[in-house]
Amino acid sequence: MNIRKLAWKNLFRRKSRALFTGLGIFLGIGTFVAISSITMRMEGAVRDKLDKFGANILVTPRTEQLSLGFGDISLGGTQVAHAQLTGTDEKSIRSISLSERLRMVVPYFLTAADASGKNLVWMGIRPKDIAESRPWWKVQGAELSAPGEILLGSEAAVALDKGPGGTVEAGGKTFRVAGVLHPTGEKEDGMIIAGLDDVRSLAGSPDGVTFFEVAALCKDCPVEDIVAEISTKLPGAKVSAIRSVVESRKAAVDQFRRLGLGVSAIVLAIGGLMVFVTIMGNVQERTREIGILRAVGFRRRSIQSLLFWETGWIALAASVSGGVLGSVAAFAGAPLFGAERGRIEVVPILVGTAIGLALGLLGTVPPARRAASLSPIEAIRSL
Amino acid sequence: MSFITLENVSMTYGSNGTRTTALSGVSLSIGEGEYAVITGESGSGKSTLLCLLGGLQLPTEGRLVIAGTDLSTFSADSLAGFRGRTIGFVFQAYHLLPYLTARENVMVPMATDKKSSREKVERADVLLESVGLSGKEERLPSQLSGGECQRVAIARALVHDPPILLADEPTGNLDSATGDQILDLFSELHGAGKTILMVTHNHWNIERGTRSVLLRDGRIAEDNPLRPVHRASRLAVPAQAGA
Repeated sequence: MNIRKLAWKNLFRRKSRALFTGLGIFLGIGTFVAISSITMRMEGAVRDKLDKFGANILVTPRTEQLSLGFGDISLGGTQVAHAQLTGTDEKSIRSISLSERLRMVVPYFLTAADASGKNLVWMGIRPKDIAESRPWWKVQGAELSAPGEILLGSEAAVALDKGPGGTVEAGGKTFRVAGVLHPTGEKEDGMIIAGLDDVRSLAGSPDGVTFFEVAALCKDCPVEDIVAEISTKLPGAKVSAIRSVVESRKAAVDQFRRLGLGVSAIVLAIGGLMVFVTIMGNVQERTREIGILRAVGFRRRSIQSLLFWETGWIALAASVSGGVLGSVAAFAGAPLFGAERGRIEVVPILVGTAIGLALGLLGTVPPARRAASLSPIEAIRSL
Repeated sequence: MSFITLENVSMTYGSNGTRTTALSGVSLSIGEGEYAVITGESGSGKSTLLCLLGGLQLPTEGRLVIAGTDLSTFSADSLAGFRGRTIGFVFQAYHLLPYLTARENVMVPMATDKKSSREKVERADVLLESVGLSGKEERLPSQLSGGECQRVAIARALVHDPPILLADEPTGNLDSATGDQILDLFSELHGAGKTILMVTHNHWNIERGTRSVLLRDGRIAEDNPLRPVHRASRLAVPAQAGA
């Protein structure tokens, strides 16, 4: 007979109370491990999905603001490009060492050209790139699929009074309207979107590129590294991360993580409170027993030790079983939350077990103190 | 020679306005090997005196010396250690732990001892045998009679071979025949050299002692030597291994 055995025996005597004490920790740790595991899986999934949603790096020609004036008279200013971008620059971008992180590199060519008597901006893009670079476009009619086809922005369609199946004359060629974009609130609403080569030929610039949009998967690398590498490859270009996109993605992932931690913290706090309440009740119930133990020579430390062992056994069992259950739940439920497939995450189980054990022991501190301060006289007086 | 000494001891409970004096200026000296029976009406201060003599609490005034140790300066924790070594308690309601077997109940005071399990089991079995419970070591208190439970409680009180046994109405829950057997056991322990302090209401129990102390209103009203009416054969309390 020792303190550990005494604690163990007492647990089996009060099975329902032990179960109730463990239930708080079990649920708390189960939830914590499930949320942590799913969050870990989802962080990657959310980031990947966000990274796939449009570009986060813009490559444009480096320009310089040139002020024009004569004496005191200002004639405004103009931007002068140091060099033009060309189609071959795409290869340079794709040759960076972090190229496996580049999900897409999409060249655009913009030019102003007459379209059936209206001067409109034409945007050239490879039809195959549209799905990835402009996934939010909704088209009335058909997608752009062949040379000689165009899409009309919603405002351009109104200005030209054309719809799917109509034609537009430009540069001596006839373009067939494949479809009309639903309003996007962006500049493309007033543009005509055509194949990259069609727009280049309209402008007489067979290899011209106005800008590149680059989508980089930045799960494990800062986007700044990719920007720096592209800048090195294209010294005449201005390469900039679209901060708002990067930050909003980071914020979305952080927010998700915080939500998970917040829910876990609340559940754990409730679990801790359950431990505190049940152990405190346990001490109240066992006043006489504690008094007897004190009367037969148990020191305060021994009484505390007894309660800590009791809760320790419960907390350990509840934490491990809660951790395993949470992990299994996360494994099974991860696909429902957007993770492609579940995985047993060991770290949350270990952290959860440690937290559960700590929670159980911390929740026992006030009741153990109270128990240790009970006078053995209580045992005599309870006669 | 005095083994337990109370010098002008007073015990007051409560705070100003609701103060209750349980003992007032009590002086008592009990020699080693005495069998003192403490009696008195309800509220006379018996329980308080028992708590003081058992080192369960300290007096608010006066001096308390047990086995040559002045307890006045002891902390609650030091008192617990002292009790464990020096005093064995036997309660009216036995106060066995219901989820432990007879053997395990006897082993409870040894839970913090640095002894092997085997040593503890051997010690418990020897004690249970000495109180006539051989063969019932594995029984739970619910499977034992009242007298057997009280024997287990006595065996538990003897675990550390304390020089003092403190009994609070040890026959209060037993029929007269079983009570007599328990009193015989106390007489045997007394014969084996233990100092016994017994609180009781029962006049028949008084006759078993060597000294009768009557309390009234928190003071000692009578303190008389007695000639025990019954002395059973000497019970040899097994000494602790290594003691």
